Amino acid sequence: MEILTGNELMSGATVYLDRDGHWVEGLQQARVFLKEEAEARDAAIAATKKTMRINSLEIETVTLRDGVIHPDRIRERIRAEGPTAPRFDRQHLDKDGHVSI
Amino acid sequence: MYRYDEFDAAFVRERTAQFRDQVNRRLSGEINEDQFRPLRLMNGLYLQLHAYMFRIAIPYGTLRSKQLRKLAYLARTYDRGYGHFTTRTNIQFNWPKLRDIPDMMEHLNEVEMHAIQTSGNCIRNISTDQFAGAAADEIIDPRPVAEILRQWSSLHPEFSYLPRKFKIAMIGAPSDRAAIKFHDIGLKAVTNDAGEIGWEVWVGGGLGRTPMIAKLIRGYVAHTDLLAYCEAIVRVYNRYGRRDNKFKARIKILVHEAGIDKIREEVEAEFAQTKGGVLTLPQAELDRITTYFAAPDFERVNATQIDVLREKELDPAYGDWLERNLHSHRQPGYVSVTISLKPVGGAPGDATDEQMEAIANLAENYSFDELRVTHEQNLVLPHVRVSDLREVYDTLVENGLATGNAGLITDMIACPGLDFCSLANARSIPLAQEISRKFQDPQRQRDIGDLKIKISGCINACGHHHVGHIGILGVEKKGTELYQISVGGDGTEKAAIGDILGHGFVADDVPDAIERLVETYIARRESADEPFIAAYRRLGDAPFKEALYGAQ
Ligand code: SF4
Repeated sequence: MEILTGNELMSGATVYLDRDGHWVEGLQQARVFLKEEAEARDAAIAATKKTMRINSLEIETVTLRDGVIHPDRIRERIRAEGPTAPRFDRQHLDKDGHVSI
Repeated sequence: MYRYDEFDAAFVRERTAQFRDQVNRRLSGEINEDQFRPLRLMNGLYLQLHAYMFRIAIPYGTLRSKQLRKLAYLARTYDRGYGHFTTRTNIQFNWPKLRDIPDMMEHLNEVEMHAIQTSGNCIRNISTDQFAGAAADEIIDPRPVAEILRQWSSLHPEFSYLPRKFKIAMIGAPSDRAAIKFHDIGLKAVTNDAGEIGWEVWVGGGLGRTPMIAKLIRGYVAHTDLLAYCEAIVRVYNRYGRRDNKFKARIKILVHEAGIDKIREEVEAEFAQTKGGVLTLPQAELDRITTYFAAPDFERVNATQIDVLREKELDPAYGDWLERNLHSHRQPGYVSVTISLKPVGGAPGDATDEQMEAIANLAENYSFDELRVTHEQNLVLPHVRVSDLREVYDTLVENGLATGNAGLITDMIACPGLDFCSLANARSIPLAQEISRKFQDPQRQRDIGDLKIKISGCINACGHHHVGHIGILGVEKKGTELYQISVGGDGTEKAAIGDILGHGFVADDVPDAIERLVETYIARRESADEPFIAAYRRLGDAPFKEALYGAQ
């Protein structure tokens, strides 16, 4: 299973593509693409690239446990939550930082 | 300190205006990220895991109070109230927003600072001894020559797209406090047979994936010829350095593959062409630049013996600080003070805006307005009167900056690692915090004595783990962080690369593993005067391996 993630242009904040085509802050809102949804995933990537507003666009593999998304890589878990030490809140989107496809 | 002339000032202003326009074009969609990325990197702006990271140059680690105050202002206004001092003596902000960067640059320009060449395949910030111009053992203050090299290497048209980044370090004293043998070019001040001071030139050192100790390429280069000689080296590198493989592109690989004799031959041939030409450094120009670094107006006071033992009786914390955080000054009655950015449980190299303000005030009031950043991620007040030490210390205490641990086990280098860095495999900072908590007892730290632990979150080695007496390298294995421990590295004139002792440890087990190494050292040292690194050299790695992995 996969999700799409990237960093929003203005703030650099970590964002995820949700089910409605919005790029949002919450990992748990991310749209999970199944193996057979590769076409939809690639279409979403292409549409995102057109916005020119999401950088470092990546496909991340995740596992769903009890409906909760767990990124497989520790890097992604840290990206989702913010630095662990010193503990800082993650970067948030500015008012004009909302991107949709 | 060097002051910008009108050309410097106009140049950085123009660069900022240019970058403002580039940001606007990126925000309006006129240029895309592929077009914008090289432009932002040329101006020190990276995109990391959580946000942008803005890296600002601190040439040869020297700052004025006004400049540190400006950094505090930037931290407070555009970031989250702190900055991170790096092993290249720069500062990084971890949370700026893209549209604020041109304003931040404008603020920097006001105090003669910028972020140019803090990224990219060009000649990066030149680093040097944090005690330059102050150290008792110094032959020459390296900063005027560092400034000349900075000017030569800034926007050098031929060297803006080298095969890879290029780092120069220099030291004006016999003790190497700048790790020159781990740089692309290392320069060490020496005296020739005629009694003239010039430079011993080392080339091809570096850390990273393939750590190498630099090789001596020339025993003596006069000031007059230094630019021409460096130009010859970089030109040979630019011509022959590998561009086909990023991991083999540094000059260290070229020197290793071609051999130092061949490289020397090439450099000498090139030098024969450039020597005596436009790059000859006139004495008058060297003298002009040197005036910027003239010794401050020291008060004539008698040499003052500091009675550390007595002070320890009266106030142990102050006594410890005096014992560890002072460095001998060439001017009687003065010392250099290391301000540790390694409090127990802290993130190495981080300072809050308030701490930066407090340190700037101290520099202004007690150190002739001067400050230094060390490659070990501390700050230094270079010229403090011995009679002012107590007041300086008390202010440091008020600001949480009085940790008396310079050179001790808790004075660790740690790179940002996986908490911030997009290239990381594992976290560095939490490990440093755990180790410092484990060894927080000041008495125990002093019993252990000089011991440098250096931690990197990936093989790029920004945390200099290869040259840690104990080095820790984070790797990723099957989705978890694992840490390889090496022992015996040394970044000084006795340059050595640490030996990896065996398989890696999970994070939770690292502090105990470090403790076992330390206990082995204490049990086997000849006396408390034999430091860890000397004991390791005498004993070899067998007892340390056994400490970590049991009898083989
Ligand atoms: S060593 Fe690796 S993890 Fe650490 S700062 Fe450098 S690139 Fe990032």
